[in-house]
Amino acid sequence: MLSEIAFYGAIETGLIYGLVAFGIFISFRVLDFPDLTVDGSFPLGAAVAAVLIISGVNPWLATGAAVLAGMAAGSVTALLNVKLNILNLLASILTMIALYSVNLRIMGRPNVALLTEDTVLTPWYDLGLAYHQVPVVLFVIVTLVALALLWRFMKSETGLAMHATGANARMARAQGIATGGMIVLGVALSNGLVGLAGALFAQSQGAADVTMGVGVIVIGLASLIGGEAVLTPSTVFRALLACVVGAIIYRLAIALALNANFMGLQAQDLNLITAVLVTLAIVLPGVRNSVRARLTRNKA
Amino acid sequence: MISASNLKLTFGKGTPLENPALRDMSLTVNQGEFVTVIGSNGAGKSTFLNALAGEVLVDSGQILVDGQDVTRLPTHKRARNVARVFQDPLAGTCESLTIDENLALAIKRGQRRGLTAAVKARYMDQFRSSLATLKLGLEDRLGDKMGLLSGGQRQAVSLLMASLTPSSILLLDEHTAALDPKTAAFVLELTQKIIEEQKLTALMVTHSMKQALEVGSRTVMLHQGQVVFDIAGEDRQGLEVKDLLGLFEQQRGLEIDDDNLLLG
Repeated sequence: MLSEIAFYGAIETGLIYGLVAFGIFISFRVLDFPDLTVDGSFPLGAAVAAVLIISGVNPWLATGAAVLAGMAAGSVTALLNVKLNILNLLASILTMIALYSVNLRIMGRPNVALLTEDTVLTPWYDLGLAYHQVPVVLFVIVTLVALALLWRFMKSETGLAMHATGANARMARAQGIATGGMIVLGVALSNGLVGLAGALFAQSQGAADVTMGVGVIVIGLASLIGGEAVLTPSTVFRALLACVVGAIIYRLAIALALNANFMGLQAQDLNLITAVLVTLAIVLPGVRNSVRARLTRNKA
Repeated sequence: MISASNLKLTFGKGTPLENPALRDMSLTVNQGEFVTVIGSNGAGKSTFLNALAGEVLVDSGQILVDGQDVTRLPTHKRARNVARVFQDPLAGTCESLTIDENLALAIKRGQRRGLTAAVKARYMDQFRSSLATLKLGLEDRLGDKMGLLSGGQRQAVSLLMASLTPSSILLLDEHTAALDPKTAAFVLELTQKIIEEQKLTALMVTHSMKQALEVGSRTVMLHQGQVVFDIAGEDRQGLEVKDLLGLFEQQRGLEIDDDNLLLG
């Protein structure tokens, strides 16, 4: 089965992808805006944080800058859509492609190592926890803070206006909501969270790499859909919780598949496993419902 | 008060599908008036309402709301003064939000939205008492998702939402047309009650000549993007559908060929 280190490692990356899933929840679920910018804003956050950290900036400030960079990237996507009327999906692909060059420019090379640098994790190693537990503790705190703030935001007047923008734009306009502004704010917020995830990922893995964003959107979506399949997202709180739970389950499932020698899977099978898991997450709720329907019919 | 003068709007200009929807349309609705608007398909009724709300911008002409020129303003900037109920009962509310959340959205129509909780405890009494006037039992279902309500219930709530905060004009776009006859009668009655009680200024588009004469204080008929006649007060008293048809033919030298108008 799973070693303790592999287990904690899965939780650690799961928590990071939970932040990505929060972002994807805002774009895909709240705004109904299919945003692929995340594949670029995740390494963008990592690149910005890494470059600032190696030039001596405080790691928390560097992480904050990564959030702002992510928000800027999201704003570009949203503005391409709102102001220039480019289809949302296409606008996000354009930004994602552009960010590949931007990320290379920021780092000046394909990757930046952080192994010898002080990161946000460094002070926590002095607390006497086991080495592999430290990131989990810190990321649980970050995740809970992000969840609380997001929950509060979604319940606010502005959050509700954002929800209305995605659910019924015509009604939102008639209620005086500037739907274009809400899209910019929401997509920026979404990519800010993804930038944060990228910055934390780079610091816990010890490097930022220009290719680390490939497939982040699929992993985030897998987490979101998987979480929704487990926890029916009837309220905003449950929907946010589902993002975290989904991401952790996803990472555990991956770790289990890769560590279970009897299945003969190897690291290069990761994307195949991801695709299978996403397919299961999409199909299973339907199967569950039809099984339930058949059972109740038999009873009647 | 709302005043539209010489509105012109052509869809698909310069294409083979060029379609002049408004041709020099002018209409002034005074404070406290309840105007019913009729006209056959393509007469420009919905376009006129969309132009007043800001969903479409006119090519030329001017729209004043309470003396303020709003001709170039987008919908959300007019929303403070212009309230709306759509024809589609699903269009006026958000089905994924709860009843109290929908009402909370409407209570802030046209105002700044901040970061404080949207559904505030101090709104609750107002929400409950407004919903109670509908007599649908919705006052006890504030936390239910809007999607659980029927079309008629949702249209009643839309109407309530439009009248939750003061506006210069209430635009009703055939808001009973998609409902079954019984529900339509209920929503129409509710409309009259709310407009009367709150002394609202309203513009109601309808497909039925009978309804246009029975409801409101003034009736306007549109044809091919223009006002063809406009009757109020004594002239309107006791007027019947056949009189209206006579008036129309007299004005235009045309026969009405839209069965919906005649039968509705």
